[in-house]
Amino acid sequence: MLETKNIEIYYGKIMVVRGLSLTIHEGEIRAILGANGAGKSTTLKTIMGYLDDQPEKGSILFKGKRIDGMQTENIVRRGIAYVPEGREVFPELTVRENLLMGAYTRRDRDVSQDMDRAFTYFPVLKDRLRQMAGTLSGGEQQMLAIARALMSRPALMILDEPSLGLSPMLVSEIFDIIRTINDNGTTILLVEQNANKALSVAHHAYVMETGRFVLEGPPDALLNNEDVQEFYLGIKREESVRGEARYKRKKRWR
Amino acid sequence: MSRNPANPDSTNKLPSATMDTTISEYNPSTVPKMFLDRVAAHPEKVAMRYKHLGIWRDITWSEYLERVRYVALGMVALGIHPGDRVAVIGENRPEWLFADLGTMSAGAVTVGIYTTNSAAQCEYVVSHSGAKVYIAEDEEQLDKALVFRKNTPELRKIVVVDTKGLRDFSDPMVMTFDELSDLGRDMHQQDPQRYESMVRATKPENMALIIYTSGTTGPPKGAMLSHDNVAWTAWSIGCALPLFPEDELLSFLPLSHIAERMFSVFLPIRFGYTVNFTESPDTVTANFREISPTVIFAVPRIWEKYHSTIRIKIANATWFKRMAYAASEWVGRKYSEHRLSGGPIPVGIRVLGSLADTLVFYKLRERLGFERVRLAVSGAAPISPNVLKYYHGIGVPLRQVYGQTEGSGPTCIHQGEVVEPENVGPALPGVQVRIAEDGEILVRGSNVFMGYYRNPEATSDTLQDGWLLSGDVGELDERGYLKITDRKKDLIITAGGKNISPQNIENHLKFSPYINDAIVIGDALKFLSALVVLDEENVSQYAQDHKIPFTTYESLTKAPEILELIDGEVQAVNKNLARVETIKKFTIVPKKLYEEDGEVTPTMKVKRKYINEKFGDLIRAMYRS
Repeated sequence: MLETKNIEIYYGKIMVVRGLSLTIHEGEIRAILGANGAGKSTTLKTIMGYLDDQPEKGSILFKGKRIDGMQTENIVRRGIAYVPEGREVFPELTVRENLLMGAYTRRDRDVSQDMDRAFTYFPVLKDRLRQMAGTLSGGEQQMLAIARALMSRPALMILDEPSLGLSPMLVSEIFDIIRTINDNGTTILLVEQNANKALSVAHHAYVMETGRFVLEGPPDALLNNEDVQEFYLGIKREESVRGEARYKRKKRWR
Repeated sequence: MSRNPANPDSTNKLPSATMDTTISEYNPSTVPKMFLDRVAAHPEKVAMRYKHLGIWRDITWSEYLERVRYVALGMVALGIHPGDRVAVIGENRPEWLFADLGTMSAGAVTVGIYTTNSAAQCEYVVSHSGAKVYIAEDEEQLDKALVFRKNTPELRKIVVVDTKGLRDFSDPMVMTFDELSDLGRDMHQQDPQRYESMVRATKPENMALIIYTSGTTGPPKGAMLSHDNVAWTAWSIGCALPLFPEDELLSFLPLSHIAERMFSVFLPIRFGYTVNFTESPDTVTANFREISPTVIFAVPRIWEKYHSTIRIKIANATWFKRMAYAASEWVGRKYSEHRLSGGPIPVGIRVLGSLADTLVFYKLRERLGFERVRLAVSGAAPISPNVLKYYHGIGVPLRQVYGQTEGSGPTCIHQGEVVEPENVGPALPGVQVRIAEDGEILVRGSNVFMGYYRNPEATSDTLQDGWLLSGDVGELDERGYLKITDRKKDLIITAGGKNISPQNIENHLKFSPYINDAIVIGDALKFLSALVVLDEENVSQYAQDHKIPFTTYESLTKAPEILELIDGEVQAVNKNLARVETIKKFTIVPKKLYEEDGEVTPTMKVKRKYINEKFGDLIRAMYRS
């Protein structure tokens, strides 16, 4: 459904993403794991056409057609929705207005129907319909951001760190909803720091480091990988005798 | 620092010494005695440099002596007696040398351990050598000792050099390197003659160090080297290759290996040149540019890596640069072919050669930090003749040394003006080389070791009638130049009964910028095949340039276009091989090789036996159909 081929992304003269190729099939949840600065968000922003003149090299295909170099609104029209890192709801608009903004690219009359569908995922939003989005809690804002993305009836939804700054309970709730949205037919690409959560819902995952994928595979294979365990799940293999260690084991990514 | 363009013709003015005249000049000595002589000769000259907070700091020979003296006396205060063993583990840094010479000055024996060894491997070395003191670079190496110390009852003290991260840690068995030096300083104040009298008491025939061989098979064996082994070998190397106090070396390979130890510790003591320590294993290329050493020792893997990096960089340069480089490379090759064969160089080639050198190669060498290189040595594993020729082409006078830990490092080395890529040159002055009936290379001389520590069987297998059995097979020509065929146990006899040296074929394959390592297989099999390890950087660059999508390293090794690329490289090599030697099938190994995974030794030599077991499925698959 979505495919990037050898994309290279630069910030000025610095190459941030070095020849990245990924494929997402219809109906899947795919996750990209990686530490801060690995280039995950940059990749998502590039897919959405947020970054001017990027990717520098390589191509991005959605449903077999090239979308690199297109305007973001046209990419959204083709069926990709984006839930940015840190929610980014419009704080001074009401919940309802925020949702309508999500339907901005649509010309049909079924918007209210979709709003109702969003409320089945997030009943709490219905109670806050006329409240300003800035007054919502972090969890509610995240829900609103996802609901807003759903308003464009996307075939593919891209989420950048949906668990950011949320309590463990809320994180579980959000991930349950992500799975439900996927069950209802939306393909999902997810970027996450919370490796445990991401691997619990994903069908396939990539591990990204310094602009490259170093590992990919189904979640159970990744969960059994020593490097993933130590660096992403915090399971220590070599326990320091003193109970603490400053140094790190060398990553091998076999 | 003066920066004269390295002139390849000025290398090595001394005629290669004949055996009989030079032998008489050697005065048996010990490492600490040589050290005191050196300090007395040039007390204020810079002995080493290290980088602290981004600035290179100097240590003079007299400062070096002071540090060594305190460590030596500190050891005495800890109860170290002559003959006791002291283990040292750490990256290359001044304290490693202070510990090494301090130990030897106290008459004790230094046992170096590779930093990459696991706690269990360290335990083996500490326990087998019966080391009483373990000098650890930092908390990582300390932690290993804390794991195994309950199993090594002879270990009394652990000394930590860098205490970062250990502020709240205290343990009666652990002390800092500074505390050790303080003990020594106190003793020096009470008895200022103690150090010198200890050094006087060291004897050439006594053991100076044990080198645990990284061991491509079985548990490591501890090769014992005497003071005389070291002092004599350093002297002999000096006869073959002139070294001067003005020389500069960059120290970056493991000091627990005999070759780096020779170049970073023993040869500087004898010849007074300056050793510069890299900041970390990741900054080697940057440090090369900063120091631009005059003497370089590196293993073939490093020379190969530099070579393939240059080739790829050039391939991505502008059209004009590519053409200029291609023309220069041709000229350089012609020029060095004439020069290496010792024949006269035609005037035309001479003119073009100096033109190419000024316009292209000097700049290239400057970029790499090789512009002052006078003496470049490759050793510890065989290097491809093509790589050797390449470096001569660009004006880096690379020589090969052949030898083993059991021979204190060198046995044969390219000497004087003659560097023939197909052989490793004649024996070192004073060393005898003979070929046994089965083709094995035998070595005799004062460089041959004392035997394996606490392992008489292995010793009697290796030392017979005063000759060292090298385990290598080779040929001597009428001039006494040695050509290495292969490791004896690695020779392949195919099902058709043909004897084949895999090393030669592997070296041809490794010359490709896309192939990092190759393991040729075919013993008792119908045809030869190879396992190939990709050069990740260059192959991913290739994939990028040719729009070949891949996600991870593993997927790169499986991409059809990459298989095609490697197939092309293999076919190109096959053209230059005899029919029985050609590689009929190959498989790209789906991972990189790591020392931690037991696939390569710390000097990055492939552990053939282990690889054959580990990738047995891949190998069987090639022979199945």
